[in-house]
Amino acid sequence: MRALRAAAREVVGLFVADWWQTLVIVLILAAGWALAAATHSALAGGVLLLLLGAQLVYFTAAEAGRRRRQA
Amino acid sequence: MVTNALVFGAAFLGSGVESVEALTIVLAVGLTRGWRSPLAGAAAAALILIVLVAAFGQVLVAVVPDWLLKLAIGSLILLFGLRWLHKAVLRSAGVIAEHDEGEAFEETVAGLAGATDWIGFLISFKGVLLEGLEVAFIVFGVGSSAHNLPVAAAGGIVAVVVVTAIGAALRKPLTRVPENLMKYVVGVLLSSLGTFWAAEGMGVIWPLDFLAILGIAAFYVLASQVAVTLIRGGARRTAPA
Repeated sequence: MRALRAAAREVVGLFVADWWQTLVIVLILAAGWALAAATHSALAGGVLLLLLGAQLVYFTAAEAGRRRRQA
Repeated sequence: MVTNALVFGAAFLGSGVESVEALTIVLAVGLTRGWRSPLAGAAAAALILIVLVAAFGQVLVAVVPDWLLKLAIGSLILLFGLRWLHKAVLRSAGVIAEHDEGEAFEETVAGLAGATDWIGFLISFKGVLLEGLEVAFIVFGVGSSAHNLPVAAAGGIVAVVVVTAIGAALRKPLTRVPENLMKYVVGVLLSSLGTFWAAEGMGVIWPLDFLAILGIAAFYVLASQVAVTLIRGGARRTAPA
């Protein structure tokens, strides 16, 4: 059972490093989906890409700041 | 004749793109964790795919909607790729070490003990299985819509063989590329492919179709470089004078 839980943690760890960041990515995907359903255009793809890029910048900068404060 | 060429070309290109995705994953895992386990994972996935395709064939294509497959697989690949890109940005900015000693230790221990690297096996298995399923979807989709499954299957098989041969040829030169650069490129590639497929699953029609992946990749490179610049700037401001 413990081995199974460890294996499951490893598999989840492939996709999730920070639960908050993952939640934000999922919310961005949901927003992109809603926009795509409403517009059926490439605009939704552009917005999705911009938001995903912005979260990358925000979360990497936040982690860097956190690590710097801990050091 | 022209129809046959179109069916072959569509299946070849579509399967080629999917095979490149699978190859990217296997190469990334092989170059960072050693080759034995990822190759075993890829072989196991290929075997399961052959059994699945033989057993279910067109039923698979008919039951699972294409948009759902693209959305689900695209989102997973995106999460996986963004995680790599996130780490690559932190490494490039000097926040975390370029080389992961813990990982190197694990690899050495695994190599000495002759044990199976289950993470390497699983990542490779998952990648090849999912991308292989997409190849099967493309081949069945194109083949059944054109009522010419043998030609579509030939296109898919040739694409897989060509991409595998290119991968085998690139394996040695790629080992000379710095590890961090490799992980950065793979992170950008997976994030771009994941974004492309997830958005297509949502109903987005990208301009220039699959060529849009190049634009998406360029955007991720730009975003990651902005992040690296911001982090380095922040480090300079907080550094003691």
